[in-house]
Amino acid sequence: MIKSIAKKEFFSTLRDSRFVALSVIVLLLLLAATVVGLHSYNTLQQERGVAQQTVNDQFANAQDRHPHRMAHYGSYAFRPKSSISFLDFGLDSYTGASVYMEAHRQNSANFSQAQQSGSLIRFGEMTVAFVLQMLIPLLIIFLCFGAFTQEKETGTLKLLLSQGVSLRQVAWAKVAGYSKVVALVTAPALVLASMLLFGKGGFELGGDVLLRLLGFMVFYLAYFFIFIVLSVVVSALHQRSSTALVTLLGIWILCCVIIPKASANLGASLYTTPTKAQMDADVHKEVAKGIDGHNSQDARAEALKQELLQKYKVKTMEELPVNFDGIWMAVGEEQSSKVYQEHFGELTDIFEKQNRISEYAGLLNPYLAVRHLSMGMAGADFSHYIHFQQTAENYRYNIAQELNHLQATKLKYGDKETRLSSETWAAMKPFTYETPTAGWALGKHLVSVVALLLWVALVCTLGIKLIDNTKVA
Amino acid sequence: MKKFWILLKFEWLNFRADKGLLILTMLTLMAGLYGIYYGTTEIQRQRENIAALKVLTEHNMEELKAKYPDGTDAGDIGYYHSTFAVNNPDAWAGLSLGQRDVNPYYIKLRLLNLQSQLYDTENINPLKVLSGNFDLAFVLVYLFPLLIIGLCFNILSVEKEQGTLPLLLSQPIGLPLIVSAKLTFRMMIVLGLALLLSVVAMVWGQVLPDLRVALWLSVVVLYCLFWFGVAFVVAALQKNSAFNAVTLLGVWLLLTIIIPALLNVYIAVKQPMPQALELTIKQREVVHGGWDKPKRETMDKFFAIYPEWTDTTEIQGRFAWRWYYAFHHLGDVAVADLAREYQEGLQARHQLVEQLNAWSVPVNVQTIFNAMAGSDLPSYVGFLQSATSYHDALRDFYYPFLFNQVKFTNADYAKEPRHRFTSSPDFATVSAGLYKLGLSVLLVFVVVFFLFRNVKLKVR
Repeated sequence: MIKSIAKKEFFSTLRDSRFVALSVIVLLLLLAATVVGLHSYNTLQQERGVAQQTVNDQFANAQDRHPHRMAHYGSYAFRPKSSISFLDFGLDSYTGASVYMEAHRQNSANFSQAQQSGSLIRFGEMTVAFVLQMLIPLLIIFLCFGAFTQEKETGTLKLLLSQGVSLRQVAWAKVAGYSKVVALVTAPALVLASMLLFGKGGFELGGDVLLRLLGFMVFYLAYFFIFIVLSVVVSALHQRSSTALVTLLGIWILCCVIIPKASANLGASLYTTPTKAQMDADVHKEVAKGIDGHNSQDARAEALKQELLQKYKVKTMEELPVNFDGIWMAVGEEQSSKVYQEHFGELTDIFEKQNRISEYAGLLNPYLAVRHLSMGMAGADFSHYIHFQQTAENYRYNIAQELNHLQATKLKYGDKETRLSSETWAAMKPFTYETPTAGWALGKHLVSVVALLLWVALVCTLGIKLIDNTKVA
Repeated sequence: MKKFWILLKFEWLNFRADKGLLILTMLTLMAGLYGIYYGTTEIQRQRENIAALKVLTEHNMEELKAKYPDGTDAGDIGYYHSTFAVNNPDAWAGLSLGQRDVNPYYIKLRLLNLQSQLYDTENINPLKVLSGNFDLAFVLVYLFPLLIIGLCFNILSVEKEQGTLPLLLSQPIGLPLIVSAKLTFRMMIVLGLALLLSVVAMVWGQVLPDLRVALWLSVVVLYCLFWFGVAFVVAALQKNSAFNAVTLLGVWLLLTIIIPALLNVYIAVKQPMPQALELTIKQREVVHGGWDKPKRETMDKFFAIYPEWTDTTEIQGRFAWRWYYAFHHLGDVAVADLAREYQEGLQARHQLVEQLNAWSVPVNVQTIFNAMAGSDLPSYVGFLQSATSYHDALRDFYYPFLFNQVKFTNADYAKEPRHRFTSSPDFATVSAGLYKLGLSVLLVFVVVFFLFRNVKLKVR
């Protein structure tokens, strides 16, 4: 009996020409979004790949230079796109693509896509994730709003129940039938996406990408399931189809349009972001004062000089076996980086606090939970962005220190003339960036995983219980 | 006329009795007030941050005054002293924040080459800017259509579904009267709310009471009329409430989300912006290459641009500040074309949006609001240009010190030029947008008129 109800729902939906037309539109949008996403991914990836290669070559082939000149010449980190970010651009359009890495200074990530667009970009972007997050739920609502109300309006529900099935069984049967329909709409696009990803898309076939894609799909399936059951439950609670539909559309507007914006804005209102200018000034002040707050820079240099003279038992700086310039520079870099890291950590904390409002709002709104998880799996969320910035900063620090070390060991005290040969630069490791693992990404979104699981559990237990308790007049 | 007032009165009683509609209206009112609060506090915060920059510049100068009590080579000051180019918000920006949260509203500048400083960004939480601003413009552009849809989707169908339409028509009143009464009632609520919120926002945000007050209010009225028109087109099809709700939401989705997203794709493909990365790479190569070139070569190139400094003394020794700033200057000159192309590309993108926004009324209205508030891409490009001229002014200020080798004394800080820039409204975009908006409204009402004339009323 349950099987035949599911089958009936499945086939009668397919016979509904309006629904089929809507599904075809959604499917077309989904396919278009896949192609568009891939195109944008390829363009940006190539642009950044070429840029990275250019600066790496420039560094390796740089002229003979004084090492500290080379430290100021520095390098660039261009953020590569994560391979499945073509399905979900996430924050990528709003995060900077290039970081200039030089001695003494931590620069901002510049040239985000959003800065190169007008306010049109704020209306949203055509991505697979957008279709899956916003349009499929609407399709589901349209599919399911009459699940019970129609049977009530035509009086067939009583007939059905007289066959000996319970309301609960009818509900599950309907959920099963609708799930099949939704699968029919989304599967082609997801298959296409996977094929593009693992076919000739030029991506590296890695277990991790597979895991990310798998996670991506599983979270969306859970999300669709929540919406299907939710819609069926709402339908059961209403007597008339139109009121059920309006309620569901209201829920959709609240979940997909209003709450996401409100929660992000609330976060930003509650926790004030310091300006970059203020942050840089604070870092500068702390570095000038010294970590302990009262040692001036000159006094520290003098102390270090005395310490080295005593250590090597010599009288003048020139007699030292190491070059004080390089050592002093290394100490300065270490201290300023340490201070910067503290402030950057504080800034990241503030951002995370702001974002936490949206994360916890996921407990009320499955849209937010799946949005965070989707971005996470696509490698386009906040944590991946910070990870990239940290990797760039670590590279910057290491290369600066390596060059300071060269200055300390290869050059004499006060020597500003000697140039090291170009081979020295070629021997240095260029900047590379590896996207962290899927497990790491998932670990950053435990709240959202819990939220999604809770929602699944909630609609399955409480939701179905509500259906049990409805009275069939 | 008396019948009209009776109908209006009963609509009001109906509305008061319907908790759902009341809640919907109250929610929109609350959202509007929150949007006003958010927008104005955000602009207030930006103002405070800009004010704090002055303090930072003061600190920086005090530090340098203490470091060089008897003055020093202007080269030291050019290197260690920083000032800010600031993009002061227009008070209207509180109503429509536009891109002001994405684009930096200040740029820290030193005398070094401009192109390595011009594009530095502010601390931005990307998740927040992705979610967008909950300002009054958002409430008007996104939420008001939903309110209108909520109020109107069952304007006729509900009477049919409840079986009250035949009863109503059995009275000596015609359908046009019923519809116009219902329409008037709903418009009074929506327009009253929209205009109220707009006026509250203007007072709260303390905007300059100029032409924009009238422009803003007319855009709001026209935009609401457009959506009423759409709602009536759908009502004229005389389908059931469920169909109306889905269709109207579909139109809303199409106009506010799907078409804009597709336009984004089109613009990104049509007007790619590859200049940025190229520019940033090239300026570094040229500037740092300056160290390795013969000084004479660099100076000759520089003197070609600034002939007035040609006969200054030959540079002796390993390093001289004027040589250092000369090759920084040449770094900017080398990428001037790319920088111009970059800004032209940004402008071209905006122009494309202007050409295409007739496809989506919400995009058009958002563009108008942002143009009025001076918070869109063109005013950012204007700011970039203003910052560039300011940097030129700094150069003009410092070069006499450097090339005449005059000591920079503590009294000279006060003579340093300061930057002033306030985003200005773009009335050309506003009037073009208003024209298109007017046409859209007209088009919809022609369809409404045509449908109501030609469609036969089905009572059941």
